Amino acid sequence: MSDRLLEIRNLTMLFGGVTALSEVNLHVSEGEIAALIGPNGAGKTTVFNVITGYYQPTSGEIFLSNESIVGLKSHKIAQKGLSRTFQNVRLFGDMTALENVMTGADSKNKVGLVGSMFGIGTSKADEARSHAKAAELLNFMGISHRAGQLARNLPYGDQRRLEIARALALEPKVLLLDEPAAGFNPQEKVELGELIKKIRDAGFAVLLIEHDMSLIMKISDRVSVLDFGQKIAEGTPKEIQNNQRVIDAYLGVADHAS
Amino acid sequence: MVSEFWGLTFDGIVVGSIFALIALGYTMVYGVLRLINFAHSEIFMMGTFASLGVVLLLGFTGFEDPLPLMSFLGIFLIVILVAGIASGSAAMLLETVAYRRLRRKNASRLSSLISAIGASLFLTEVFRIMTQSLDWDFPRLISKDPIFTFSTAIVSPDKLVVILGAAISLFILDRIINKTKLGLGIRAVSQDERTSLLMGVNIDQVIRFTFLIGGVLAGVAGSFYVLFYESTKFNAGFLMGISAFTAAVLGGIGNVRGAVVGAFTLGLFQQYSAAVLGYNWKDVITYIVLVLVLLIRPTGLLGEAMQRARI
Amino acid sequence: MDRVKSILLFNLRERFSVWWENSSRNQRIVFRVVLIAGCYALPYLRNPIIDTPQSSFDSILFYPLVTFVILSVGLNIVVGKSGILDLGFVAFYAIGAYSMAILGTLTNLNFWEILPIGMGLAMLSGVVLGLPALRLRGDYLAIITLGFGEIVRIVAINVEITGGSQGIYGIPTPPKIFGIEFSVTNIRPYYWLMLTFVLLIIWAFLRLTVRRPGRAWEAIREDEDVAELMGVPTLKYKLWAFILGGAVGGAGGVVYASQVSTITPELFKLNVSFLILACVVFGGMGNLWGVILGAILLNYIPEKIRFLADTRIVLFGLLMVLMMNLRPNGLVPRMKREKVYDKKTGNEVLR
Repeated sequence: MSDRLLEIRNLTMLFGGVTALSEVNLHVSEGEIAALIGPNGAGKTTVFNVITGYYQPTSGEIFLSNESIVGLKSHKIAQKGLSRTFQNVRLFGDMTALENVMTGADSKNKVGLVGSMFGIGTSKADEARSHAKAAELLNFMGISHRAGQLARNLPYGDQRRLEIARALALEPKVLLLDEPAAGFNPQEKVELGELIKKIRDAGFAVLLIEHDMSLIMKISDRVSVLDFGQKIAEGTPKEIQNNQRVIDAYLGVADHAS
Repeated sequence: MVSEFWGLTFDGIVVGSIFALIALGYTMVYGVLRLINFAHSEIFMMGTFASLGVVLLLGFTGFEDPLPLMSFLGIFLIVILVAGIASGSAAMLLETVAYRRLRRKNASRLSSLISAIGASLFLTEVFRIMTQSLDWDFPRLISKDPIFTFSTAIVSPDKLVVILGAAISLFILDRIINKTKLGLGIRAVSQDERTSLLMGVNIDQVIRFTFLIGGVLAGVAGSFYVLFYESTKFNAGFLMGISAFTAAVLGGIGNVRGAVVGAFTLGLFQQYSAAVLGYNWKDVITYIVLVLVLLIRPTGLLGEAMQRARI
Repeated sequence: MDRVKSILLFNLRERFSVWWENSSRNQRIVFRVVLIAGCYALPYLRNPIIDTPQSSFDSILFYPLVTFVILSVGLNIVVGKSGILDLGFVAFYAIGAYSMAILGTLTNLNFWEILPIGMGLAMLSGVVLGLPALRLRGDYLAIITLGFGEIVRIVAINVEITGGSQGIYGIPTPPKIFGIEFSVTNIRPYYWLMLTFVLLIIWAFLRLTVRRPGRAWEAIREDEDVAELMGVPTLKYKLWAFILGGAVGGAGGVVYASQVSTITPELFKLNVSFLILACVVFGGMGNLWGVILGAILLNYIPEKIRFLADTRIVLFGLLMVLMMNLRPNGLVPRMKREKVYDKKTGNEVLR
């Protein structure tokens, strides 16, 4: 229990009449790369949206390092150590790559508006810290050369890396990646896989939504499968691969237990 | 005030009828575009001047004897038609010039709103210059002597024309929305634009049609307005627009039935509060209602849940 | 045509940027000093080319020029930088002006004492408006701010203490400072006073913009939801934008009222909010220099070319539509200087 950084229990999410998630149980432990898979519309991104505070869950519990985060505002949750990337890259287009990452790093600083204006208190040190952290992360992701460029001008692959760098700037306990390999060719996917492992080795636990099975197989320690808002299987990649129920869900066999 | 209740109520229904026709334009455009068409109030204002223009062109000066009922209805029908066509066309032109390009480019909400404001400013000022900021009086075509009175309610022919005319217009609109293909398109796009597109709905056409209907209704509202108030001015759109928009929000923006409910509710509320607090506070009341609705229940009385962007 | 114009403009801008990048610290200081001195010296400039036909150049400098510059810079923080569409900005201006008017005529307080009060009241109103309103989405927020602006104006018309629709007259001028007298006849000191405020605000804004607040505001403008998810306390920063906007607008109002000595609710109509917005839009949303240029151009040119003045608002409206459709980034777009960083240390390389 204690090494479970992220614990999600009986998470239920209703939108009007639609049950997006039903009694979902998930967890991410320290040092692991966990994967969340399932057919389109299964509710995977909804899980991310709920645990990061974008939606309030209809019911259920969410713990980050044994602390309940249900009902907290998103920025607080982010500060406590849960950050994410998005299915469609959502960078701050008109800001440079460095500024994008610095924005993430800022969340760990204490200085407020008045301090910044008059340059008092920790403002100088905080600014330097954000800058250094951002530079370090750009380097880590291999896009230092993009630092001064506007985010919207970056090539797609670098944009994805930038988004991850920004999320890492929050020094999360668990990093949520939403389809990070979308739009990548096989070679890029292999590189991405290595990158994610590098992130894990650097001390971040990762929860990953992906459709690319080979990527999942190669890097995940544990896989959970969602279908129609319910978890239908969980286990090692090998176990999941051979799970009949999972295969049925993807192939869309008509008879689904609701 | 209690004694005035019937009078205020009846007048509230008259005013509410006019609000409803204008409010529908706001709500339908918001439904399909998620855009507040700031310039809609000017579309209405143009309808008032179009009505005025027709009547003046037909030679009326206001000094003639009142017309018999059938003649009046015939003339007024022409007025409504012209105003409706004028405003409808203006609305479609507005969509083309001010909004279409932004829609194509997927521009931000902010950009569209600013463009809308610019269009509104432009039209208001153009008319201000053309009309020299004067009040323009609408010739009285029929006698305003009350047909009957009910307690303090004064039922005069013009008021009846407004109420009945609005009712007929709303009925026609209901048929269009529910029975025609384009009406179906409007409903579909309001719900889910992307799916509608995938289902083969011609979005551009639907949007143009939405502006057209909204414009026509606003033009018709303009005719009723000048009939009832007997004058118009370049900024007639502004206050009516705020009231109509508040009505749409009150009923639930994007919701057609809501616009009508909101319009009558607001019309009545305005009359009652003006009687209690004084006429000069009427506008503040409307603003306060608007602000309160947006703060407390932005979905309005009948509205659907406010859409949030999906991540 | 547009491309030709932008090439011309860009050339100037590019050349300036290059010179600026390559200049030394001392060169930059000299440049700034000369520029600022030049601004203060403007009232002494007498030239038929720049003179305005109807009112004196001095008078124009104060109103509308520097007044609209300050208001535009204030609105820029809210709309341009943070992306919050505020259609009721005139309310802050009005609150500042009425504070000066009411306190100036009813109490013994002088301008310098009333100034912080006026600014404080405007800032407070920013909080009162912002706390509930800033939780809403763009369009709804815009409408509420519009409502706020109008409510303030209509209350001013209907309430006794604000003088009703007649307004307040006999507002006192500021007392002598540094040997400079503020009289009804000499408008120059007012210009210098307002100019000083403008410079202070520019200083504050520049400091904020290169640090965390600037990044937070831009992130909010670019993608508010994502900003929140990336740990930016969006409500707090949006409120700050409102508060600062209020401070600026309020200050402008206090100074304006003390010069003009009579104010009426007519001065604070909705159109004024739109005019300020036009300056920000025209100049380039979020870009401080662009906005200042926009405010200057949009207020100077109608004074210079008189026939334009009457159709001023028509053109402003047309301008807003055209700008949004054709050149949404404004006259001077928010071009980030793409900087160069040292690969190892990550520090910006200054040449």
